[in-house]
Amino acid sequence: MEQQPLLEANGLTKRYEDGALAVNNVSFSVRPGEIYAMLGGNGAGKTTTINLFLNFLEPTSGEARIAGIASHADPLAAKKHVAFVSENVMLYTNFTAVQNLAYFVRLGGRTGYTTEDYRRVLLRVGLQEEAHHKKLKGFSKGMRQKCGIAIAILKDAPAILLDEPTSGLDPKSGYEFMQLLGSLRDEGKAILMSTHDIFRAKESADTIGIMRQGNLVMQQSRAALSGEDLERLYMEHMAGVTE
Amino acid sequence: MVRLIIEKELRDIFTSSKFLVTFGICSVLIILSFLIGARNHQVATAQYEASKRANDLQYEGVTDWTRVQEYKIFLPPQPLATLVNGVANDIGRTIEVRGRGELRSQDSRYGDDPIFALFRFLDLEFIFSIVLTLFAILFGYDLINGEKERGTLRLTFSNAIPRTGYIIAKFIGAFLALAVPLLVPILAGILILPAFGITLAGDDWLKLALIIGAGIITVGAFLALALFVSASTERSSTSFLVLLSLWIVMVMIVPRLSVVAADQIVTVPSVDEINSQKSRFMSQIWNEDRGRMNSYTPPKSQNVQEVMAGFNKFMQELADAREKKFNELSARLNEERTNRQAEQQMLAMLVSGVSPSALFTLAAGEINGTSLRMERAFLEQAKEYQRQYAAFMKEKTGMNTGGFSFVVRMVTDDDAAPPKPINIRELPQFAFTPLSAASGLGAYTGYTGVLAVYLLLFFAGAYRSFQRYDVR
Ligand SMILES: Nc1ncnc2c1ncn2[C@@H]1O[C@H](COP(=O)(O)OP(=O)(O)O)[C@@H](O)[C@H]1O
Ligand SMILES: [Mg+2]
Repeated sequence: MEQQPLLEANGLTKRYEDGALAVNNVSFSVRPGEIYAMLGGNGAGKTTTINLFLNFLEPTSGEARIAGIASHADPLAAKKHVAFVSENVMLYTNFTAVQNLAYFVRLGGRTGYTTEDYRRVLLRVGLQEEAHHKKLKGFSKGMRQKCGIAIAILKDAPAILLDEPTSGLDPKSGYEFMQLLGSLRDEGKAILMSTHDIFRAKESADTIGIMRQGNLVMQQSRAALSGEDLERLYMEHMAGVTE
Repeated sequence: MVRLIIEKELRDIFTSSKFLVTFGICSVLIILSFLIGARNHQVATAQYEASKRANDLQYEGVTDWTRVQEYKIFLPPQPLATLVNGVANDIGRTIEVRGRGELRSQDSRYGDDPIFALFRFLDLEFIFSIVLTLFAILFGYDLINGEKERGTLRLTFSNAIPRTGYIIAKFIGAFLALAVPLLVPILAGILILPAFGITLAGDDWLKLALIIGAGIITVGAFLALALFVSASTERSSTSFLVLLSLWIVMVMIVPRLSVVAADQIVTVPSVDEINSQKSRFMSQIWNEDRGRMNSYTPPKSQNVQEVMAGFNKFMQELADAREKKFNELSARLNEERTNRQAEQQMLAMLVSGVSPSALFTLAAGEINGTSLRMERAFLEQAKEYQRQYAAFMKEKTGMNTGGFSFVVRMVTDDDAAPPKPINIRELPQFAFTPLSAASGLGAYTGYTGVLAVYLLLFFAGAYRSFQRYDVR
C-alpha cells in the first residue's frame, strides 16, 4: 500500500511584494522514509519553498501541506509534524549546547528527555563530548549544524525540512551529515532538503527535483538516474548557478 | 510553553553582562538613595528639634505674655519624604504665628542648605522615573528584533508556537528580570532604615508600597513601549535609537515643557504683585484710620490704667475693623491666585500626562503627601493653630495680640514677690498631621490608572505589530 505523503506542495506559488516570482506553480511530495533533494542554484526559490512550508510566508496561490494540513490554514497544527534545520543554525550563544537542546526541544513540544538522552543524541550527530556543556559562543558553523540536527532529531517529528544544511561544512562533516540523514530516513522520516550540491544529492536522495528560477524543471527518482542523466543534470544545474 | 519561554528569557538575561551592569548600577543607586535619604532625615530631625528648642529659649525669663509677639512653628521632617522628596525640600518649614495676620512659610531646606539641592536627584522617585525607565528600554529594545538578528526567531517559530503566547512570555520574562535589580536593593534599603532610627508608621508602609507599585507600572509601561518598537523594526540599532529619542522626549522634555507651556498659557499673578496690592490697600486703610485716631478723645479719668485701657480698646476696635477689611481683600486675591494656580497646574499635569514618567512623579507625590498639596496643608494647619494661639493669648493678656497696641506696665513698689516667668510650653503646641495616604488616593489612582492604560496600549501595539512580524 502506498503511504500518504507527509510533505506536499500543490501548485505552490509565491510572488513577493516587489513582484519577484520566487516559486512558480511547484508540486511535489515526500513520503515517509524518503529523502527529497531540492536542487538549484542561488535564487532558484528553494528557501522560499521551505519558508512556505513553515508558514513564514503566505503562498500567493497553491498550498504546502504537512501531514495533510495546509500550513497557511492551520500553521500551529501543521508545524507539530515537522522539524527544521536552517542553512545557518543559530542558537543562544550564552547557553551551552545541552541548554540550547533542552530549550528548543521542549519548545517543540517534547518533554521527558534526560541529560543522558541529550548526551547520546549529541554524540550521534558527532559533537565531541567536551563541547556538550560549553557555551555556543565559540562554536564553529559545523558544530552549530550538529546541534541543529540534534534538536530536529529529538523533536521526533515525522517530517524534517533542511535548507542547505551542508553548505559551508568541510567534506568530512558534510559526508557524516548525509550519513546521519540516511539513518533518519531509514527510521521512516520524510526529509525535504534543499541543496546546490549535486553530488550530495546524488549520494543519498531518493528523489531529486531541480529548481530553476522558481520552476521545478525536473524531478526524478535516484533509481531512474543513469550516469548520463547525472552529467546532463550537472550541466543544466551549473548553468543555473552561474547565470 | 509560556513558562518555558519566560524561564529561557530569565536565564538569557541573567547570564548577560547587560544584566550584571544594570543590577550593579541599580543596587548602588537605590542603596545610596536610602542612605542619603536616611542621613538627610536624621539631620533634618536634629535641625527641627534644635529650632524648636531655640524658639522656646528665646522666651526664657520672660515674665509677661504680652511680650510674646510671635511664636514660630515648624514643619517636622517626614521619613518618607526623604525617599520621595517631592516639594518637601523646596517649601518653607517655618511659620511665624501672630495672633492675627497672614501666615507665610519660610526657610526651605534648599534655601538653608543649598548643598542638599545637589543631592535632590537621588531619591527613589528619581531612580524610578529616570534610571529605571532607561533600564526598561535597555532591557526591551531588542526583545523581538534581537532574536531575529541572532537567528533564533526562525528556529523558535518553526515550532508550533502561538505568537500571542510568545510575546506575552517575552514581556513577562523581561519584566521579571527587570524586577530583580529593582526589588532586591529596595528591600535591602528598607532593611537599613531602622539602623538610622527611621521607623515607618502603618500609613508610611502603605504609601511606600503604593509608590513602588506605581513605579513598577511605570517601568512596565516603558518596557511595553520598548517591546512595541522592537516588534515594529527589523534591526535592534534602529529600535534603540527610536526608543532613546522617545525616552528623552518623554522623560526629559515633556515634564519640563509642560510647566513652561502652562506658564505661558495661564498667567498667575506673582506673590510680589499680590503683596504690593495688599500693602497699597493696607496703607490706604491706615490713612483712613489715622484720621479717626486724630479725632480720638480719651475718656475723662485720672486713672492712667483706665485711660490706657480705653485707648487700647479703641485701637483694638480699629485694628479689628482694619483686619477684617484687609482679610477680605487678601482672601479674594489669594483665592484668585489659587484658582489661577490650580488652572495652571491642571494644564501642566494634562500636558505631562503624555509622559508616563511624569505621571509616576505625580502619583508618587500625591500618595506620599509631598505634592503641591503639602505646602497648602502646612499653611492650613498653621491657620488652625493661629486660632488656638490667638485664643490662648487673649486669655492670657486680654488682648488680641499681633495688632498694634500700647502696653503699660505698672511698676509697683509693693514688696510683692518678683514676677514669675511665664512657661512658654503652656502655649498650645503645633503638631503637623502629614497628609494621609487616603487623602492622596484619589489622585494617585487616577495617575496610576492612566499609567496602566499606557502599559496596555503599548502592549496592544506590540501585540498587533508582532502578529504580522516577519520571523524569517
Ligand atoms: N524577501 C524577499 N523579497 C523579495 N524577493 C525575494 C525575497 N526573498 C527572496 N527573494 C527572491 O526570490 C527568489 C528566490 O529566492 P530564494 O528562495 O532565497 O532562493 P534560494 O534559496 O534557492 O537561493 C530570488 O530571486 C530572490 O531574489
Ligand atoms: Mg536559500
